[in-house]
Amino acid sequence: MSHLRVAIVGVGFSEFGILKEPFYNISFLAAKKAIEDASIERGEIDSFVLGGYDNLGVGRTISNMYTAPAAGAYLRHETRVADDAAFALALAFMRVKSGLSDLCMVLGFGKSSETPIELVELQSLDPFFLRPFNLSLQMSFAMQSFCYRKKYGVKEERIAECIAKDTENGSKNPKAFLRSKVSVEDVLNSRMAIYPLRELEIARWCDGSVALILASEKIAKRICDRLVWIKGIGWSNSGYYFEELETLPATKSAAEMAFKMAGVERKEIESVEVMDLVSDHQPMILEALGFAEEGKGIETNLEVNRSGGAICTNSYGSTGLFLVANLVERIRNGDIDSGLAQAMSGYAGKRALVSIFGV
Amino acid sequence: MKRVAIIGCGQTEFKSKHKKTHPEIVYEAAKKALEHAGIDIKDVEAVVYGCMDPFDGIYRPELWDSTAVGVFKPMMKISTGGTTGLTTALAAYDTVASGLFDIVMAVCVQRVGECVDAQSVLNTAVDPIYERFSGVGAITVAAFQATAYMHKYNAKEEDLAYVSVKDHENALKNPYAHIRMKVSVEDVLKSPVVCSPLKLLECCPRSDGAAVAIFASEEVAKKLKDNPAWILGETTISDSYYLGDRPDFSCWDSLAIAGRRLYRAVGIDDPMRDFDVAELYSPFTIQEILELEALGFAEKGKGKDFAKEGITAVDGKMPTNPSGGVLCTNPIGASGLVRLIEASLQVMGEAKNQVENAELALAHAWGGTLQFHTLAIVSSKKKLG
Amino acid sequence: MGDVMEFEVWWRIPFRHYAGVHATKFFEGLKNKKIFGVRCPKCKRVLVPPRAFCERCFVETDEWVEVKDEGVVETLSVTYMKFTGLPEPPYAVGVVKLDGADTGILCYLGGIDLSDWKKVHETFKPGTRVKAVWKDVPEGKITDILYFKVV
Repeated sequence: MSHLRVAIVGVGFSEFGILKEPFYNISFLAAKKAIEDASIERGEIDSFVLGGYDNLGVGRTISNMYTAPAAGAYLRHETRVADDAAFALALAFMRVKSGLSDLCMVLGFGKSSETPIELVELQSLDPFFLRPFNLSLQMSFAMQSFCYRKKYGVKEERIAECIAKDTENGSKNPKAFLRSKVSVEDVLNSRMAIYPLRELEIARWCDGSVALILASEKIAKRICDRLVWIKGIGWSNSGYYFEELETLPATKSAAEMAFKMAGVERKEIESVEVMDLVSDHQPMILEALGFAEEGKGIETNLEVNRSGGAICTNSYGSTGLFLVANLVERIRNGDIDSGLAQAMSGYAGKRALVSIFGV
Repeated sequence: MKRVAIIGCGQTEFKSKHKKTHPEIVYEAAKKALEHAGIDIKDVEAVVYGCMDPFDGIYRPELWDSTAVGVFKPMMKISTGGTTGLTTALAAYDTVASGLFDIVMAVCVQRVGECVDAQSVLNTAVDPIYERFSGVGAITVAAFQATAYMHKYNAKEEDLAYVSVKDHENALKNPYAHIRMKVSVEDVLKSPVVCSPLKLLECCPRSDGAAVAIFASEEVAKKLKDNPAWILGETTISDSYYLGDRPDFSCWDSLAIAGRRLYRAVGIDDPMRDFDVAELYSPFTIQEILELEALGFAEKGKGKDFAKEGITAVDGKMPTNPSGGVLCTNPIGASGLVRLIEASLQVMGEAKNQVENAELALAHAWGGTLQFHTLAIVSSKKKLG
Repeated sequence: MGDVMEFEVWWRIPFRHYAGVHATKFFEGLKNKKIFGVRCPKCKRVLVPPRAFCERCFVETDEWVEVKDEGVVETLSVTYMKFTGLPEPPYAVGVVKLDGADTGILCYLGGIDLSDWKKVHETFKPGTRVKAVWKDVPEGKITDILYFKVV
């Protein structure tokens, strides 16, 4: 394994909201900002790894036909991971780690305002056994919530605290989509959406793009003073059919791989960003990550979702990378020295990625 | 960087339709690849999966197919249009080269046969704001190239037809190929015009099937295989999106740029002399001609004579697509991986239509509206020379 | 065991695509039978269709330039087969570089009988000058240009 480490030397965000521009124009803004942030030129980037969902989210098959030029990949080396852009981070990391690339851009786009995402995600269910039930993505999350609350006896008032905390943080984060605070009472008064989840417990969809510039150690040290190293990355999946809904085995498996690579202990992690697409996900993810025992995720003292989490910013395709970018910026600014970000995709969080950062 | 080799490959037969489900086809190809590599599925440490979703009528098929190859393994999905097969392979290569894992499986599957009409799906790749109204699909785009090339170099329809004759001849020897029938120049010229000047027998079929390749680090490859296929180098290139941005339809300048970069990086001085065989992605006859010129095998305007003169035949000076190529088998998201597999089998000495003493091979794929290219070089030796 | 079951499945997913500021302006131009491109401030190329940024120079483009509605054919093809959801054949499509533009646009070619492709290719061969035939009352859509005919 190459002993040279991989650092993040540039970050760029577009606005996150319901954006009335095509996804590629939004991506261009994020890419440009990342390049400026790193104080490099487009031509110095020797590898581009794009991320985000293909075709159905944006109504165009092969979305990287549009995002590649937007990222700056004109006549350059480019490839694309079709998943939440956090997964693109993993491929970019490997390209730099291997020595194939010195300066690599990861660009993720999220576009949900042009089509009903539930209908899009529904098509991922097999047409024989699952799709005829019209099970939406959020229904699978509700099933998870139901099982989790039942198994561990956690009350809805406690779970609602996650929403209050996330939105409190989101209100202080100028980059987040949802900026207004919501109280536990507001959550409990909101209408029942899919039992047991109330409307305010489910992340809404938005658009937005984020880009990161990765650099190999020697180059990174020439670009940036305070470097954020990617210490470990892990990813996994837990198959296709629905079992064990009260836990997140893919996240657990991904965390194991990431922590092993990073060679750090849980207690060394100062801040965590998790992709809580619904309220219950927050404690479930913290348990799967190993920060709390089963059923006790709601009781951790860990700093969680200073960005506002996915509850405040859920841009189908770039959510995971948005969380990473927020965390990375805080490490760069010196607010914290270490952090962990988690992303997941698919029904019931069956695919997951965990990344660990530090100085 | 770790040296990486392909130690096993598997393909299903490619047909109009397999009477199996998505994961079953993946399982079939994976099983063959594991047998070829002499390992078990539990030895596979990570999986990289590629597919062009919409053709198969299932969004994110990797979720379903994880049941066949990847449950609880780190599995990544790559999707880049026509180049998917090769970019998936390269992502698997990146994974091993990074040192994270020693044995990684690249899986590509495509069931274009299940899609009642592929052109309407391809039309959705085209920008809905400015261009989709024109009804352009993949065939029109290749036809644009043919029109421009024939006009500029005074190429004849027969010149293109010879490419089809050669590919079909080769496919007869490939048990995995989809279309396996002999065609004559006359047959090609008489077949109905689809998008002028391209005729039906100059165009690829809609194929259904899966392909798998297993990548291993140098230490593992040496232990498991006497004749692995070493990856010497790779590159990809991405042009701007709009079709009208292409400066010249009679040549493929973006491929030429990518080729030069790769040759320089790997140390190829003269592709015609150095390569023993090439598996190029040409679902339409004209594209093989353009690719040969762009990649430096033929001078400008001379590529049109290669098929007629037997230069690209399996026993010719520059064997091209001895597998029958994409023209005879096109499971779109998997075709790029099939090119790499066929190129690897050649340098392993195990191809069905074997080029004598093949040691160095080039694999290529293109995608989008003439927008992307991916290239990889495989060799029977660990390094060039 | 008998034959295997087959399920017929359709995807019917609605999309509302935001065209963005640049495309919107282009379509408004069409309403007035004008074709607009943007000029890149760095390389000075006039890009048609207009876009928010120049891919080569990686800068925003906001200088609007009107290009002529006539130009030169770069390539063409006539489609004879019917594909689901695509126009009824035969229809001729080409890439035309309009006077004043540095990139080509995709468009229909017409005004002649399309049944003999060789004749069409001869009439519209690369290098031929063509001019747009507009709808009488343009609506601000790409189809306001019915096709390009030989000048």
